[in-house]
Amino acid sequence: MLDFDAVSSAFELLGSSASAWVYLLPGLLIGLVFGAMPGISITMAMAIFLPLTLYMDFLPAIIFLTAIYTGAGFGGSVPAVLMNIPGTSSALATTFDGYPMARAGRHNEALGVALASSVIGTLSSYILLLLLIVPVSAVVLKLGPLEMFAIAVWGMLLLGSLSGNSVARGLLAGAFGVLIGTIGMNTAGYVRGTMGVPWLLDGVPVIPAMMGLLAASQLLNLINTTYLIENEEDRGISFAAILAGAKTAIRYPLIMMRGAGIGVVIGSIPGVGSSISNLISYSETKRNAPDAETFGTGNPKGVIAAESANSSSEGGAMATMFALGIPGGGATAILLAAFAMHNVVGGPQFIANSKDIVYAIIFTNFAQAVCLMFVGLLFVYAAAYIVRVPLRFLIPSVLAVSTFGAYAISNSLSGPITLFVFSLIGWLMLRYGYPVAATVVGMLLGGLLEENLIRTLQISRGEFSYFLERPGALAIFALMLVSIGLTILNSNRRKRLERSSEIGS
Amino acid sequence: MSNMTRRGVLKGATALGAMIAAPTVLRAQAAYPSQPINVVVPFDTGGYNDRLARALAPYLQDALGQPLIIVNRGGAGALLGHTYFMQQPDDGYTIICTSAAPFLPLNVLTQNASFDVSDFHMINTPSRDYTMMTTANGTGITSVQEVIDRLKEDAGSLSIGIQPASADLVNLMLFADAHGIDRAGLRLVTYSGGGPTRNATAGAVVDVGMVGGQGFLRLADQVTPLMVFDSGPRDGWEAPAVVDVSGADAQFVAGSQRGWGVHASLLASHPDRYEVIASAIESVSKDPAVIAALQEQDLATDWHGPEASNRSIRQTFEVMSRHVDLLQGS
Repeated sequence: MLDFDAVSSAFELLGSSASAWVYLLPGLLIGLVFGAMPGISITMAMAIFLPLTLYMDFLPAIIFLTAIYTGAGFGGSVPAVLMNIPGTSSALATTFDGYPMARAGRHNEALGVALASSVIGTLSSYILLLLLIVPVSAVVLKLGPLEMFAIAVWGMLLLGSLSGNSVARGLLAGAFGVLIGTIGMNTAGYVRGTMGVPWLLDGVPVIPAMMGLLAASQLLNLINTTYLIENEEDRGISFAAILAGAKTAIRYPLIMMRGAGIGVVIGSIPGVGSSISNLISYSETKRNAPDAETFGTGNPKGVIAAESANSSSEGGAMATMFALGIPGGGATAILLAAFAMHNVVGGPQFIANSKDIVYAIIFTNFAQAVCLMFVGLLFVYAAAYIVRVPLRFLIPSVLAVSTFGAYAISNSLSGPITLFVFSLIGWLMLRYGYPVAATVVGMLLGGLLEENLIRTLQISRGEFSYFLERPGALAIFALMLVSIGLTILNSNRRKRLERSSEIGS
Repeated sequence: MSNMTRRGVLKGATALGAMIAAPTVLRAQAAYPSQPINVVVPFDTGGYNDRLARALAPYLQDALGQPLIIVNRGGAGALLGHTYFMQQPDDGYTIICTSAAPFLPLNVLTQNASFDVSDFHMINTPSRDYTMMTTANGTGITSVQEVIDRLKEDAGSLSIGIQPASADLVNLMLFADAHGIDRAGLRLVTYSGGGPTRNATAGAVVDVGMVGGQGFLRLADQVTPLMVFDSGPRDGWEAPAVVDVSGADAQFVAGSQRGWGVHASLLASHPDRYEVIASAIESVSKDPAVIAALQEQDLATDWHGPEASNRSIRQTFEVMSRHVDLLQGS
């Protein structure tokens, strides 16, 4: 599997300029700060700093940019835990359990869990990358619309676990989200639901809408509360508790490995990526957990599942980029541009000819993950002070920062307007008992579902036999059914056990 | 509304004379450019125009003596960015880097844009793409003649990956007409964006892809080019040109034409500033150091000049307006 000649020349390359490593820390910090700012995406942070790398050599440039990538990947989960705002769309599932933990005074622990899961997720994804880069690249491009549709459906299964008491309301909220996700021009060139507003032609801007639904509506609900954490003695900032959280994460290697596996595979599919892998990992973990009913109320396992999946998607995206020369998303598109500036072009030839560079980049990312552990500890320690800010200062500041972020995304008022409209919708939904998160999931997946269903119909001309020609899609559907079936069996068995123990007592 | 006045200014050709005749007024102001210049990129970060703008900016700002600020205004097929650009004053402090074709014609023909193609004046469009018919290695299709034969027999026999309402779609339909292929029977699989179309083509998800050829350069060893829609061979692809296959008078639309532009009204309102910008872009585009730096990033710097650039966009607009029915959603 490993080419040891290439490994040793990779180390030579890395050791050749020790000064290159100077860029690692600033990169991580820039990533953390930008990722933690609601509305600033990983892509945006990397695009802003791309021109700087023009004046660097190849190695420092790549270390710098991938450090931003790694840092921003984790940065997004800090506001997700502390304020219910996913800093990036890939931290959505982190809010499900991270935020309830924070509100219950377990903010230190939640941040520690998230950090350790991210670090280990990143590490294991690059180990997988080392081993899987060739087989993954052989499969990725062959995925057709039906397979992509199956993946989107898999993500939609999460709706079941977000519904709370009323399944009907959960499904309704999810369907509402899917409909919002289909606003704009679809893949066949038809324009729907834009009400003549040109800003909606590309659809509702997802991040402002998500921030509005999740954060603003929550914050409005907190208006009669004085602090994020009601109990004063729970508002402590404790290094020990953060470390304890990190230890908690390590106690669930199975969840983490599942998250990393899902993250690498989904992350390697161009155009899907980390915003979906965290949802699938969360719903799989919840469905298989014996304490499934405590998910959503502050179960650290939910945070582990989400964070290990979204951070390991980075490795998957890098595999596709190296092996095929194709950017899976915005971040790898920028990396490819940086590579091109230094005369390095991805693709099968590249892996064959420049193994040393590939290995060097993978090893760099190992180093980054380890550094992230330490830099991240300091960063979350500082960030945790947010819980000590009285809400009468925190709520307006967060709303202001979210509005800036929404403006930064769209470069026009359409972002803030979206934020405002969706805050109102979110507040109304919360008030009348509809799960807001289900709408966000629907919104994230709606476009993917629709465009791949359309393409499936176009390519198959409506012939049902097309299903049989796509064993990959059938396998995904089968896996899904087996997973659901096992869940039902398990929960039935548990109920029977509970009933018999009740009778016995 | 602002277009109306701009067009008015354009018509008043005397304004140009007045400007030249009043050098004292100009001398009273600080020499242009006296403040940073905004470069509007009507696409999000990471695309070709964004990369082109950011790569050329360091050299261009040296030549102009003022910093350039890249302003990304993506969305709605460049409509939002083009509209924004037109709303900025035509004082030479806002220039644009865009895919003038096909997006200006598309904005005007299909999106009810508030501007005309002639409101834009392109100084240079170094990047000139072309539609390429492509298949993945190993699909068994080896030549365009094979595609023609199979589609003639049954137009739905091959799935074709393509973007809706695109120049590629116009080319496909013109190609179908030229070879007696039933347009309505074609099995189109639509993708939103060139990247996804290319991925589907390279992965053999679709049998044939019809999409801009330059984007395939990176995937060159995974695909087999079948035909380029241009008047001659391009970029070293071993594939015939449309004029070799469909006849010397074959109809086709040129692909994306990307580069640098200004308000057309700038030529009348500030001809001196236009000269400064145009000559800076020309000298930078011809600078061997710049050419080498941009080539490393797969970015074009060829100098075609304003006349050829605008003529080509006008021609593209004319062909596209003749086939406007194909551009309105499929």
